Amino acid sequence: MSTEMKMVIDGAEVSFQEGETVLEVARRQGSFVPTLCYDERLDPYGSCRLCVVEVEGRRLPASSCTLKAEAGMDIRTGSDHIRKMQSTLVEMVLSENPGDECPRCRDIGTCEVHELAEEFEVSRDRFLGAISNASKDDSNPFLLRDYDRCISCYRCVRICDEVEADHAITMTGRGWNKGIATAFDGGLMDSDCTLCGQCIYTCPTGALADKKMVNQGSKPGEIEITRSVCPYCGTGCSINLHSLDGKMIGVTPVLDGPVNEGALCVKGQFGFDFVNSEDRLTRPLIRKNGELTPVSWNEAFEYTAQKLSSVRDDHGPKAFYAIASGRAPGEGSYMLQKFTRAVMNSNQVDNCSRG
Amino acid sequence: MSNSIPEIEDADMMLCVGTNMTECHPIIAVRVKKAVRKGAKLYVVDPRKIPLTEYATGHLPLKLGSDVALFNAMAKVIIDEGLADMEYSEERTEGFEELKKHLEPFTIEYGEEISGVPAKLIRECAIAYASAESAGIYYTLGITEHICGVSNVQSLCNLALITGNLGKRSDGVNPLRGQNNIQGAGDTGALPNNYPGFQSVDDPVSQAKFEKAWGVPMDPHKGITKIAALDHAVDGRIKAMWICGENTLVTDPDVKHTTKALESLDFLVVQDMFLTDTAKLADVVFPAAAFTEVDGFFTNSDRRVQRIRKAANPPGDAMPDWWIIAHVAKRMTNDVHFDYENSEQVFDELASLSPIYAGLNYDRIERGDLAWPVPELDHPGTPILHEGEFLNGKGKLQLLNYVPPSENPDEEYPFYLTTGRRLPTYHSNTMTGRSGGFRILVPNEWLEIHPADAEKLGLEDGDWSKIKSRRGEVITRVAITKTSPRGTVFMSFAFPEEVMTNIVTNPEVDPKTETPEFKVAAVSIVRVEAPTGLGASEPLRANPDVEDPHLG
Amino acid sequence: MKSSVEVKDPVTEKILDQWMEKPAPFLSVLHAIQDHFGYLPESGLRLVGQRFGIPVSELYGTVTFYHFFSLEPKVLPDIRICENSACCLHDLDAICEEIVDKDLGIPHSGKVEKISCPGRCDVPVPILIGETFFHGAKSGAIEKATPATMPLPPEIGLEECLFKDIRNGVSSLKKAVEAGSWQSPKRAADDPEGFITELKSSGLTGRGGAGFPTGVKWEAVRTEVADQKWIVCNADESEVGCFKDRVLMAHTPHALLEGMTCAGLITGAEVGIIYLRWEYPEILESLQTAIDEATAAGYLGADACGTGKPFQIVIRRGAGAYIYGEETSLLNSLEGKHPFPREKPPFPTTHGLFQQPTVVNNVETFCAVPPIIDRGGDWFSQLGLGDQQGTRIFSVSGDIQRPGNYEVPVGTPLRQLLMEFAGGAFEGREIQGVTMAGVSGGLVGAEDLDVRLDPASLNDLGAMLGAGGIVVHDDTRCMIQAARESMHFLAEESCGKCFPCRIGTTRMTEILDELNSGEPVREGLLQEIEDLEEVLAETSACGLGLAAPYITRMLKKYWPQQIQDKIDGSGQALKEGSE
Repeated sequence: MSTEMKMVIDGAEVSFQEGETVLEVARRQGSFVPTLCYDERLDPYGSCRLCVVEVEGRRLPASSCTLKAEAGMDIRTGSDHIRKMQSTLVEMVLSENPGDECPRCRDIGTCEVHELAEEFEVSRDRFLGAISNASKDDSNPFLLRDYDRCISCYRCVRICDEVEADHAITMTGRGWNKGIATAFDGGLMDSDCTLCGQCIYTCPTGALADKKMVNQGSKPGEIEITRSVCPYCGTGCSINLHSLDGKMIGVTPVLDGPVNEGALCVKGQFGFDFVNSEDRLTRPLIRKNGELTPVSWNEAFEYTAQKLSSVRDDHGPKAFYAIASGRAPGEGSYMLQKFTRAVMNSNQVDNCSRG
Repeated sequence: MSNSIPEIEDADMMLCVGTNMTECHPIIAVRVKKAVRKGAKLYVVDPRKIPLTEYATGHLPLKLGSDVALFNAMAKVIIDEGLADMEYSEERTEGFEELKKHLEPFTIEYGEEISGVPAKLIRECAIAYASAESAGIYYTLGITEHICGVSNVQSLCNLALITGNLGKRSDGVNPLRGQNNIQGAGDTGALPNNYPGFQSVDDPVSQAKFEKAWGVPMDPHKGITKIAALDHAVDGRIKAMWICGENTLVTDPDVKHTTKALESLDFLVVQDMFLTDTAKLADVVFPAAAFTEVDGFFTNSDRRVQRIRKAANPPGDAMPDWWIIAHVAKRMTNDVHFDYENSEQVFDELASLSPIYAGLNYDRIERGDLAWPVPELDHPGTPILHEGEFLNGKGKLQLLNYVPPSENPDEEYPFYLTTGRRLPTYHSNTMTGRSGGFRILVPNEWLEIHPADAEKLGLEDGDWSKIKSRRGEVITRVAITKTSPRGTVFMSFAFPEEVMTNIVTNPEVDPKTETPEFKVAAVSIVRVEAPTGLGASEPLRANPDVEDPHLG
Repeated sequence: MKSSVEVKDPVTEKILDQWMEKPAPFLSVLHAIQDHFGYLPESGLRLVGQRFGIPVSELYGTVTFYHFFSLEPKVLPDIRICENSACCLHDLDAICEEIVDKDLGIPHSGKVEKISCPGRCDVPVPILIGETFFHGAKSGAIEKATPATMPLPPEIGLEECLFKDIRNGVSSLKKAVEAGSWQSPKRAADDPEGFITELKSSGLTGRGGAGFPTGVKWEAVRTEVADQKWIVCNADESEVGCFKDRVLMAHTPHALLEGMTCAGLITGAEVGIIYLRWEYPEILESLQTAIDEATAAGYLGADACGTGKPFQIVIRRGAGAYIYGEETSLLNSLEGKHPFPREKPPFPTTHGLFQQPTVVNNVETFCAVPPIIDRGGDWFSQLGLGDQQGTRIFSVSGDIQRPGNYEVPVGTPLRQLLMEFAGGAFEGREIQGVTMAGVSGGLVGAEDLDVRLDPASLNDLGAMLGAGGIVVHDDTRCMIQAARESMHFLAEESCGKCFPCRIGTTRMTEILDELNSGEPVREGLLQEIEDLEEVLAETSACGLGLAAPYITRMLKKYWPQQIQDKIDGSGQALKEGSE
């Protein structure tokens, strides 16, 4: 075990473990330290400089995300001077982006840049000049790439490298003329991108968004967010279901989901709208004269009960077989086996794990 | 899985066998890639040059179905090199000496002869596995969907047991489950041999427990497996079936046989969200609510019981599965309790009857932090199984022999066909196929074939071909790629309307689990002219110009 | 195309085979591919990525960072013209107009591109076509390139260290050895501790601008335990107004090689790498000749200078980026990584090239070592004036009678350098101010020309000595325009990683443009400048951003009236006739 050490943050003595950064320690003890280039899943990067703190004995403030905590350090996170510089930095960032409405904030949830703007009570009215990159017209079906709103924190590039290891995108150019591109600047579908969408949900601005969600959110009504679990493979990623007036409009990852920690794949991220499919079954059906015909629940239940009773009574319990779903919720499979065992009186039940 | 998913990133060595993880379990693959980034070794055992090999220290491209020969050879290397964990073996396993003797003929040269993996690479991989502080084995259906699936798994267990890589953090033997709640379906007792919580149906104590709980006598005999049930349907022993949320017709091997089985039934109930090919054969179809429209739980690969919640309204009359089944039950019995007001009551009943779920309720599964067994309400869950000791005493080392696949290439059927999924198409595509945009990523089915094989057959990228096995034939386009090794071709089963892949797959099963050998069939391939009406002019691979009817 | 797709490109394969076993081959491989194809084709980059283990996307991004790598085939080269401090004092637009149609003996595309300072400020304005330079471009007179101008003989009584023998033909090995070259490596091998003691007592500090004591740095690398260590010479002289390294490498290359060899023998490094800026093609050739001669004579190689220890030197050519003045971004560039500066600590002395202990020094620093060892640390130390130690070279250009390089004692008054040594302003003009350290050291106004040229004195004024480039502006100049050009250079060369620098230098340039536009300026402009200065000076991640506020702060200090006039819309007409 690493030994426990102590340092001072904003006048209070706090313990930390070797290897922790000043940002981690400061946030843990409740100090407000703003960031834009930071994502705890990524290596510290130190580019937005919003997390600067004053370090006793140093002439210049230091970026706390890259500063390793050391025993005896004396840190001040929120002096008036630091707050003023942070506020200026937020204004500078706002000036890079266009002034129109941010679709990400409107349709999916307030982006980090605009959260900070609210926190510092600043808006986009100083330092105005040229704005960021031109957006890219990318023909993929899922990912909106509106780099007019890019603030070049490179979290998208870094999550693609460090977490996904797909290395699909990169930072290009330099200085003001920087950008985000795939190798040779083609579309995402021509690159190593798997369209997992991880970049969207680390992006602190509206530069990246889910095309499906951005299209739907402008409809009136309140978006509800409900935590659930992805219905695809057996990994069990936590997801947030976004719904509007009782209809699914999108999925976002749960950043503290125990399995996925905010990661999703292309299916989990974008493959939710089968539930809205036009060909969903909406009525019980009974085959009448060879045709499947809509009926009431009551009729369907009565008919099924009667047919199954006669199979059981005429041919014995083993003439019935039930196959439970490996995809539907567990209450259903429990009920089906209980039905088989307690009503049909056999163990003739299985699930689809064999094929 | 014996261990939890987050632990993977702290493994020192990962042996990934028959698992196309980046496509089928992308977020588990994220942990594997993270471990690699931290310096872990990764060995990939797979006939195909799957994307995971790009991150690997070594790729062992074994011949289809040669797993036992390969892993026995690795076990022999470990024992011969003195890398076995003797303390662990003595304390926790039995049969070490017998195994050592049994492995004598399984030299790396023999391993190479059977598996085609260079002897040097077999040795390197064995040493890397045995020398690592914590080495985890991860596998999927590439191991189990064989007639020797059980032996394959046991040969991996032997490796873990002789090296002590079972029962501590970041090691273990870890099957990755292919479907979101396949673990939960087994947990809840949807098995012919087990009540909920894997309590055996032929154990009198368990029988008595459930008789008392439900108030009716229990059948003391095991049921048959689903695979056997389809045979029993054909021969008339089974008259009625109730299939929930499975497109059996498409996803089982040998479609002709499955069709015959379902058509032979007197009465078929299908409960689904869509009118699947299976549902089209039904006498009654129940409209099921989607996972977004109900409260309930899924249990994932690492035994994590997680809450799902209703976020949207089901269309029309669609209802939760449990509700539908309970209503039919109520009409058939007065003796058994089927009055539930909500899914939570169903869960509580399950927890009361299943010791591994006994400490769970909807509050405790709120955030998905708990892996079963959770025997008490204050129990912290069990992310790592077999810590300290095995449930059933000592781990028995198995003496296994190599059994070739039931079908092998011959003059008439000169190629191996293996099947699996592709990243953007899930299973039979009932979900991804109805979600906007996925058709653009994968417009069609295609057969993956090595360039040398394609050249021999006169096939060019995008050509049409007929794939024929002893059971039937399908027509599809070909994509030339070195992902497939020479002599082995690959298809998915995501486009059943156009290419019913499981017409050609092999229904031979493992005698113990009755899991079919989806992973190996012998086929012939010939070039054919583009058929009319099958979208012959459509793009082969991802293309933004494909029209996707589901994209709003 | 996805990265798994196979690529065939035998030319690139062959280049890779030739280079892969050599030290830090990345840049050389790219140059070789570009030399062959005229640009970097996709197939080549994919193969490079595979061999170096760099994802192709990252490699693509890295290549786009450099000015002089091209991803598109070009039939004919563009005309490139310097747009920075000393050169923008000339009428660039008129020159451009003229050269487009002019037959310069080299075919060109007719397209004019402005580039950052290529280190020829004493012969403005340089024009570059392909790899051929034309110097002294003025309207009506474009001349062929000239070799680096020899420094003028020193004023009587001034003792030189670096330039002592430079006028005696020591670019040839024979002459260099006659003058006493290649003696010091033996001492480095025999008595490394004594050698370091001499370096420490000499007071020699890094001449690239950071000013770290050289002896301490070498000792730090010497005490590190590692399989491999490196000596890297930062010859990417990119600071605007600096052309001193060019003259040293052109006329006394063996001093550099000898200094690097000493560093290798002391620290245990076996390879020295000279990172040479792309804009010095003629140096590439002459320096390679010097290396070949020294190797043939046994000064370099398996038994360097008869010490029984190996040391070799290779040149790696840059591709145009000022940020490599920052040593960690230079190291990233050599490794093939995206050339952003690294977080410090750790420092290169422990985690340098390929994470191994590395000495990184400037050309001038290495060149000073042999004479120091020859004459003794105390001798060098006492060359400084007052409390100052040693000499250093200043590149003087702009509105000045005798532009060029001057080696003067540290502590020499700026006025003496400009008026006595460099001949003062042109006839009838007066010096209005100078830019320091190139441009990033800020500005010094006429009223402070008596400042002494040592780091502390400049700091007291609020400016910075830096790498020793001084560009003179006379009283015909608009100092807001001068500040704008300096800021524009920093904005162009900002790597773009940290927010304050990327946004701040661009906004500052825009604000200075607004001041210069003659239009009414927005309200609160001065407050915006002040807020940007504060953020740049205190939160930037590396020296480039930290230095930017020197420019505007000094502008406000010395020329507040020029700013106020602009704000009031009453900017007075400047004197005509700057050409």
